[in-house]
Amino acid sequence: MTDATVPRSAPAPAPYIVPHHPVRELLTGPVASIAFTVIAVVAVGLIWVGPRFLSFGNLGIMGAFLIVPLVVGACAGFALLSGVVDLSIGSMVGFSSALFALLLTLNWDPWSAGAVTLLACLAFGAINAIAIVGFGAEAIAATLGMLVALRGITWVLLGPQGAIFSFNPGLSDLVNQTLFGLPLFFLVAIVLTVIAAVVVTKTRFGRHVQAVGGDDRAATRAGIPVRKIRVAALLLASLGAGIGGIVFTAQLGSAARATGFGLEFQVYAALMIGGYSILRGGVGNPVGGALGLLAVAGVSNILDLKAISPYYVNIIVGLLLLAAVLLDRMRGGDAYE
Amino acid sequence: MSSGMRFQGWGTGLTLLAVWLLLIAATGLYRPAFLSHQTVLAVSFTMSIVGVLAIGQGLVAISGGFLDLSQPAGLIASSLVAVRLSEAGMPFAVVIVGAILTGMAWGGLNALIIVGAKLNPVIVTLATNFIGLAALFFAFQLAEVPLGSTIHQFGRAKLLGLPAIWWPMLALVLVVGFLIPRTRYGRRAIAVGGNRMAARARGISLKKTRFAIFIAAGGFVGFAGVLFCATSGPFNPSSANTLQLNVIAGVILAGISLAGGRGNFWLLLLSVGFLSTIPTALVFFGLSSDTQSIFQGLILISAVAFDGYRARRGIP
Repeated sequence: MTDATVPRSAPAPAPYIVPHHPVRELLTGPVASIAFTVIAVVAVGLIWVGPRFLSFGNLGIMGAFLIVPLVVGACAGFALLSGVVDLSIGSMVGFSSALFALLLTLNWDPWSAGAVTLLACLAFGAINAIAIVGFGAEAIAATLGMLVALRGITWVLLGPQGAIFSFNPGLSDLVNQTLFGLPLFFLVAIVLTVIAAVVVTKTRFGRHVQAVGGDDRAATRAGIPVRKIRVAALLLASLGAGIGGIVFTAQLGSAARATGFGLEFQVYAALMIGGYSILRGGVGNPVGGALGLLAVAGVSNILDLKAISPYYVNIIVGLLLLAAVLLDRMRGGDAYE
Repeated sequence: MSSGMRFQGWGTGLTLLAVWLLLIAATGLYRPAFLSHQTVLAVSFTMSIVGVLAIGQGLVAISGGFLDLSQPAGLIASSLVAVRLSEAGMPFAVVIVGAILTGMAWGGLNALIIVGAKLNPVIVTLATNFIGLAALFFAFQLAEVPLGSTIHQFGRAKLLGLPAIWWPMLALVLVVGFLIPRTRYGRRAIAVGGNRMAARARGISLKKTRFAIFIAAGGFVGFAGVLFCATSGPFNPSSANTLQLNVIAGVILAGISLAGGRGNFWLLLLSVGFLSTIPTALVFFGLSSDTQSIFQGLILISAVAFDGYRARRGIP
């Protein structure tokens, strides 16, 4: 009897301590599953395409293509973490690209054109924040409205031609610079992702964002300024989209109707594959999100190199997305009944 | 509670009607030519497909399924089936039934994933729309109903001065709006959307309700596919993508809560009618068709903000 009670009473406080297994978490956490996915994509690429899949030329092409999604995704991730999804980021990229191109054709210097463009994007982000945080609007629906409105504004800016050509040799040289054989701005975007990851995991602001997304009532009771955090996160998302649009215009030397069209779905699909959730805040990590974008870019690159129809990318992205939400649910995400 | 819900519905209805009449009056005063039969034709034509899709979207929303983002894929699949059946010389009734069954199968497939894996409908339908549209691109690049076939004539026919495709939309909205609060199935859908735990405690099967809702909503998407291919001319798999936002905006403006549990389907006639008037009115104001998205977007943001404000303050 006593033999039975002693071992039973000894570990009694155990349930009060959350078991923390850093090694196991490293292997089963969201970042791990997306890292394995990326490794699998690279392996498939190496076997199927051959060594040129990892050649600097090919990586440079992928890197240049990934700059905008990485920046947009890292910033929009903060909004997701705080529990509000911003669907207007794709249109915002298009708007920013069009406004920046328009200002360049009016002979503005790139710095002031960029500053005005970013301020305009922040203003639209503020409208999102007022509707969602101020009035309590449903985030998906309100930002869907902003998506439509910004698309209209972009089309009006682009005029009847539907495109603005704003080739600027200085800007083009700047974004096409390479370092160690990779686009310089791709490396900048990677550094930005790492900074975002450090902000999320190591700073007070990042922890507050996660707490607000996890449970806003608990966060309120803990004295966290929930509304301010959400406003900051939404502004950050629009700032990221603004930067993305400027980079687009600098890369392409033009802005067009298709710029940024549907980008929000591509970015969010990749972010969800990388461990974020668009329905509950508090989960996800910028590193996982960036790996999600890498995995999707890797898949489309492989299909591209093998000259296979790009529609297969959408099928694979759709299946990966379903697998990712299923994994998220099995890790303790909300079950929908 | 019930009288409060009804009152709230009529309040939204009166607001919508007032705003719609204001738009018509303002445009008519600025350009009297706006008040013509041509305008009525253009507005009712736009209303038809969006209205039928909005019924399906509204069913998903009211039962707590948030949104069905896979409507474009379901619509194109049904249209393709309708085109292939009419190319094979099938009678019009078979064409309609085939398209509706296709839509119902698509809705059932969505429900299978949603209920089977217990995943959120927004993400599931986002993914199935990706997959479905990509698969449809393998099936065809461009399709069109045969010229001179019954379905082609139906798309161009007029009845009592309005497009023939407008009348089925009107009938469906009226019937669904009448049946939802008055039948067992309709009440179950609202109960599940309002509070699924309470609904389950009262013995309502969540799984069966979800299946029924998504299959029924798919049936409306299938019928919208008939109207779509009858009127659109040659279409490709991405032709229906622009409809989606108008449909969602119509559902939200009609006060059908995306969170589920409340809404009056009859108000879809007002919200979809109002949204369909905007493009024509803007043309008369001398604004390019590009500006219509700006207005639609701003209206949607204001409507959702007002909805959130009302819910937060507890105003019925």
